[in-house]
Amino acid sequence: MTTETKRFVLVGAGGIGNWLASGLVRLLEWKYPGSGLIIVDGDNYEEKNRERQEFTKLGNKAVVKAHELIPQFPNTVIIPLAKWVVSDDFSGVQADEDAPKITASQLLNENDIVFAVVDNFAARKIIFDAASKINNIDVFTGGNDDELFGSIYHYQRRDGYDVTEHPVNFHPEYENPPDKNPGELSCQERSEIEGGTQLLATNMAVASFILGRVQKTIVLGQNPEESEIYFDLGLGKSEPYNRSVTHNNQYTTV
Amino acid sequence: MENNMNSGAAAQSSGMANVRFGVYNQPSNIAGKTVQEAREQFSKLWGIPTDAVAYKGKDKLDENYVIQASDNVEFHRRAGEKG
Repeated sequence: MTTETKRFVLVGAGGIGNWLASGLVRLLEWKYPGSGLIIVDGDNYEEKNRERQEFTKLGNKAVVKAHELIPQFPNTVIIPLAKWVVSDDFSGVQADEDAPKITASQLLNENDIVFAVVDNFAARKIIFDAASKINNIDVFTGGNDDELFGSIYHYQRRDGYDVTEHPVNFHPEYENPPDKNPGELSCQERSEIEGGTQLLATNMAVASFILGRVQKTIVLGQNPEESEIYFDLGLGKSEPYNRSVTHNNQYTTV
Repeated sequence: MENNMNSGAAAQSSGMANVRFGVYNQPSNIAGKTVQEAREQFSKLWGIPTDAVAYKGKDKLDENYVIQASDNVEFHRRAGEKG
């Protein structure tokens, strides 16, 4: 046990985030007691979510999840934020939309460890872009398709410099997101978004891969060079990609 | 930055290079081939979309780029979106 404390910011408490919350709070409770876990989500748990998500009652995901965890983990400060994360200029936000919102810049602080497990590239990009203006920060993200494929990415900055590349450098879908941030949509538009036919196993695998990276790079302080990992549970394969800014990108045979 | 040039005298027209797409990773004797030829060779096996951008590091590669020995050529795999 250490006297060091951390501030984890979990954005998204749905298919991946609800499992990730269970792992992160345990890490904080026993490894970094006195730390904070901020859970951010503007969405609600609904009956249809039970197939892949664990919750004890219906209601806002951040609030419900926090209220479940608080009595179990007294050495961790758990704070729910029932808000959608939007860009600093509120670009794209519907004029008549009054759901609670917080900008990414308001949310993120120096030395935060952020988990962006929302189900769209647009919101993740907002978080990565805000993080790119912070000197010391780690942002982990991950997602999956409707079957057994998933991927995670770790963006790290130290002393004002990128240690790993901003994911926009490898992913056009972050440069020009094909989807919309739910925080920008009207209530009606949000209600029409379908979760698809995602699988519990893949959601949990994304959460597990992220927890593995946290163990290696945050707890053990090791180099985050394998900062992007693709996996396919059907094939039983995973593949790490070195996204360090110093990587020479040469293939060498041993 | 888009890379459609080879490095002149350093260009190597044969040898091993690495091709990657998502979970797939295959060292292959493809130096000297173009990106388009590499795509054709691996697309059916791995399901590489015809519009998947090829990268060498952060650099986007033109379809006519001639792959060099020791290159790591990565065909873009869209990240997992949902969760």
